[in-house]
Amino acid sequence: MPIRRVIFLLLVTLGLHAWPLPAQDVKLPVKEGSVRFAAIGDMGTGEPAQYEIAQRMLEFHQKFPFTFVIMLGDNIYGGKTPADLQKKFEIPYKPLLDAGVQFYAALGNHDDTNERFYKFFNMNGQQYYSFKKGNVKFFALDSDYLDPKELAWLEKELADAGTDWKICYFHHPLYSSGAFHGSSTELRSVLEPLFLKYGVQVVFAGHEHVYERVKPQKGIYYFTEGASGELRLGNLKKTNLTAAGYDKDRSFLSVEISGDDLSFQAISRTGVTVDSGSIRRPVVVRP
Amino acid sequence: MTRFLQITFLSIALIAAAGAAQKVSRTSENPTFGDFSQRIDQYLKLRKALPHERTTKHQKEITDRRHALAQAIREARPGAKQGDIFTPEISEQFIRVIRGAFEGANAPNVRKTIRQGEPVAGVHLTVNGAYPEHLPTTTFPPTLLLRLPLLPDKIAYRIVGHDFVLQDTEARLVIDLIPGALP
Repeated sequence: MPIRRVIFLLLVTLGLHAWPLPAQDVKLPVKEGSVRFAAIGDMGTGEPAQYEIAQRMLEFHQKFPFTFVIMLGDNIYGGKTPADLQKKFEIPYKPLLDAGVQFYAALGNHDDTNERFYKFFNMNGQQYYSFKKGNVKFFALDSDYLDPKELAWLEKELADAGTDWKICYFHHPLYSSGAFHGSSTELRSVLEPLFLKYGVQVVFAGHEHVYERVKPQKGIYYFTEGASGELRLGNLKKTNLTAAGYDKDRSFLSVEISGDDLSFQAISRTGVTVDSGSIRRPVVVRP
Repeated sequence: MTRFLQITFLSIALIAAAGAAQKVSRTSENPTFGDFSQRIDQYLKLRKALPHERTTKHQKEITDRRHALAQAIREARPGAKQGDIFTPEISEQFIRVIRGAFEGANAPNVRKTIRQGEPVAGVHLTVNGAYPEHLPTTTFPPTLLLRLPLLPDKIAYRIVGHDFVLQDTEARLVIDLIPGALP
């Protein structure tokens, strides 16, 4: 075992693995009764950077008590043994799990579909599923294997949503300025028509190991958060899609929805706010 | 108005394609894929009595059940070999459809999806063998899925290099494969 790992595991055991930082400023409104969550993607490495992001999330949770986390895929890289699940999920997020924070996973190309049976991921044995929080309905999709059955399910779920907000999340970004992968245009060709037809307002994805907020595309807001464990340093080649982005370090995203407003704040591994703002729920005009 | 028509057309096309794919999987006499769906049904029948995964907090239980299921399937299909499901006739039809997806106007998008999905290559898979645990899954082009018979839960098509694989996702077992099906 390399000496670096021995030292790291020792620090984890002693609870000293992430250096103390000034608590992040909370730019979110923290309104009573709001829907609050965090978004992380491409995190399951088990490496120190994942633990540091988890620590920043815990610190932020103390000021902004989000109740759940959406996982944007590549939740567990490499091996999936019980020891791997501990190292890549249970240990880094234990304080959040202990605080009652729930995790809702979407599958990425590095995940095993059997992760759907892992109770902490709240997938209830399904590769794609939906859940409701307040006036928001979330749709966790399996973009790695998007078959006609899933598309038919999504269409029905979107049609029956009955909530003000409809948010989809999955692994592959439909719009991205990441240099490594870029936009998933084929997935876009099958998903975007449904998003437009049923008024999806916001989409979260991972896969590209950077953070990016894309300018609204046909009225839909797209976020990529694929740097909560992995990172492709300097890989965001800002294009005319990019509203904001960060590729200098790992990050996670926090989100609050209150009434017609969605506020967001992206925070780096070192506790710096790298993006923040708010979105007014678009009014859908049907021709 | 043009946009509305585009969206409407795309939605109708999508639903029609989904319906067509479902129909293929349920129509045993479908000339396109022969008795593929019957062979899948036979596999499911064999598998029905075997242990199944269920939700748990303990990854060890998931792993143990997966290994037990895989072993039980192997024992239930001791002589399983390449071509049991993808017979030469069925393989021919699959190859025709797969290659068609790599030749049409949408071919660059199909190739891009696979490229973006971090393609798996250099892996030798065998029928009744395990799909290695550490291997990622190559993202499957969704427009190709629209043209193939719809599979029941727990079974999926996989792309591994140039090979086209039928996988039991719960057991992570290779049910059958068509080597070199992809260009």
